[in-house]
Amino acid sequence: MLVLAAGLLVGSPNPAWSDTPDAALAQLLDEAHAAAASQGACAQPGIDRLVRILCARRIRVGVRTEYPLFGTLKGTVREGYEVDVARAIAHQLGVDIDFTKVKAANRIPMLADDSIDLVIATMGDNTQRESQVRFIKPHYYRSETLLVGARDRRVGDWQDIRGLTVCVTLGNSSNAELMSRGARLMLFDEATTLTERLNDQTCTLAAQDDSFFAYYFNEPSFAERFSDKFGFAQIPWGMGVALAGSARLARSLDLMSQIFHRDGTFLELARKNHISIAFLTQQQAVWARPECNTDTGSTNPACILPPANVELQPTPFAGGVTAFEAWFTRLTGIDLFLPMLKTAPAWGLFLDGVVYSLVLIAGALAATLGFAVLFGAAMGARSWLLRWPARAVTVALQSSPILLTLVITASIIHALVPYSAAVALGAAILALGLANGSNAGQAISEAYVTVRAERAGLPAPRLDLFSRALSRSATQIAAFLINAAKGTPIASFIGAPELLSALTDITSFSSGRATTYTLLLVFYTGVVIGVVWLCHKFQHFLERSRATT
Amino acid sequence: MNALFERLPPNFLPSFLAGMAVNFEIAGIALALGLAFGLLLALARLQARVVGMAARAVVALMRAAPTFVVMFFLLNALPRGAGLSGVMIVALSLVPYGASYVADSGVDALRQLRAGSLLGCLLILPNIARAFFVMVMSSSAGAAIGVQEGIAVILRQAEQMNSLGDMLLLFAIGVACFGIPLQAAFAVIRLVQHHLGRSTLRGREAALTDETTVPIEP
Repeated sequence: MLVLAAGLLVGSPNPAWSDTPDAALAQLLDEAHAAAASQGACAQPGIDRLVRILCARRIRVGVRTEYPLFGTLKGTVREGYEVDVARAIAHQLGVDIDFTKVKAANRIPMLADDSIDLVIATMGDNTQRESQVRFIKPHYYRSETLLVGARDRRVGDWQDIRGLTVCVTLGNSSNAELMSRGARLMLFDEATTLTERLNDQTCTLAAQDDSFFAYYFNEPSFAERFSDKFGFAQIPWGMGVALAGSARLARSLDLMSQIFHRDGTFLELARKNHISIAFLTQQQAVWARPECNTDTGSTNPACILPPANVELQPTPFAGGVTAFEAWFTRLTGIDLFLPMLKTAPAWGLFLDGVVYSLVLIAGALAATLGFAVLFGAAMGARSWLLRWPARAVTVALQSSPILLTLVITASIIHALVPYSAAVALGAAILALGLANGSNAGQAISEAYVTVRAERAGLPAPRLDLFSRALSRSATQIAAFLINAAKGTPIASFIGAPELLSALTDITSFSSGRATTYTLLLVFYTGVVIGVVWLCHKFQHFLERSRATT
Repeated sequence: MNALFERLPPNFLPSFLAGMAVNFEIAGIALALGLAFGLLLALARLQARVVGMAARAVVALMRAAPTFVVMFFLLNALPRGAGLSGVMIVALSLVPYGASYVADSGVDALRQLRAGSLLGCLLILPNIARAFFVMVMSSSAGAAIGVQEGIAVILRQAEQMNSLGDMLLLFAIGVACFGIPLQAAFAVIRLVQHHLGRSTLRGREAALTDETTVPIEP
């Protein structure tokens, strides 16, 4: 162990051996080796993970397998900066290494359930995760989120991303920022999918750590087509160990990281893997400073970076919601997560979503009814100048998938007025009203023809004939009103801020997707059932009005 | 117009046609599943009180479930390990609509059959064809989750257009490509319905004639 300590000391700018991280690490490892060597210690439950690792002579490390330059697995060959950092740690501990594939969604749970001892997997250190995992300080890397898109798309700042489809990975801490800037998020599990979706143009922009895109920008074919637009949300990356039972392991890794920074080990591994070295160069200087190059350096605020602050303000009733979730899970065995009720931004989005959805439904119903009467009157008109254009528009609207009608309407409106949530909502109401109103209008005009034929020769004002036609086509009008209400969630595609949009945004930075989308389905199904009931009342009203005339 | 066609990449048409094939594929899967569930529900609705009521409630819920929301529900609520493709998710999201439509049409058809009208029962065929084409159109919702169907190809190309005029022309091409088969199919459906209607009338008239000419036994 003294040899190891002496080796680590080589090149150290700090001559006071007893206060150095090297001395502290050597002492810690000596104690852990002694504990592991003592009779029956390895079989004892609850021993610190460092001792257990030394007992087993193996460390289990969770790494990424599809994150170019940081963690990849091709056949049986693992490569990347994080893989090399894991190897360097195992080498220092004198143990073998068992790699395990982890993803963004499961890396912390796998630490908590003791599937792995250490995670080195592109994990940003933020205030939220600090309560779930023990981060190793100092951090081994720092990234920022980069927005990447086609070279010919001009995106200079936040103003330009409003309303654009930005593809992101689930659980990325920068999603909340993108969402708050008006981007429409499309969620994916794996980062590699983002470049595929950029290539096939499903995504207008993709947001991911700069470290991820570094690999792709090394490829000429990618660099020719895409460029980085701007970066935001700098975040330090930390190795992590479990909160419980890892005190010695965490301390040893803290000290090792200090030494790796000071001695340029991290820097050398970064160079080997062709990743950015700006942060690591700066950190090497920091950890060579006398006040940082001590055994307490990893707790010195002047030396370490703070976690990114992503704490969201809780709602006044967040505690009650958490208690309800726990009670429900105990009662039914089903995991219930209600993220929309627990943080102030999510609650605000949720309430807005509900209100906007109801406005959208009411607007779509009113627009459908209005256009139905207009199209019905035009198609039943004596003048062909009114009749034929109305029929042509109806055939075109019937032939256009509703998604396309929605996009066409939004494109025309956005060409006239700047984008805003209200404009998107208005465009959606107009599109749904046109699509369903034209069909209902056709039914009214067909009914009008039959009413007029039945009353041939009898004097009747046109308004009377038209009201009879309305009564006769009541079933069709009700059917298309219901169809309009059912179609409202599709408005989220053009950025209308209704409930589906709101919940997609909420789940992009929180957990509980299954519960959230189940509630969404219940909400919309319930609302449509309500609309069906109202439409049947309206249908009966129209039919009764025919009976009385 | 010519300028637009010059700006379209050479692979646009093959991509668009391949995308439209995906729309038909989605509708085909949804219709097959909708027929299976819908006919079972139709039979259940004609059963005794509890089974019939339960089937009616299920059909009412399926009828009310918005396809777009069902799609996002399946995408997010199903376990990741389910391994469903985007095409399958869109197809499954159309099943509630397809099954409830088939159940409603199936009940009508069974009632017609019980009333002795085979032709009335056969009206279910054009109705199902209509539902198929409605599902072809609705399958464009898949563009929202990255399925490369026809409308997704159009929208992708539209993003490359610099002027609103070009974009609208491109959208018009999309509407025409979806509209022509749709309107042609609806015209065929109307013809079939017309033919079935006339056959039904002729059948009734023949039956009436037979009744009047059958000799009454003393």
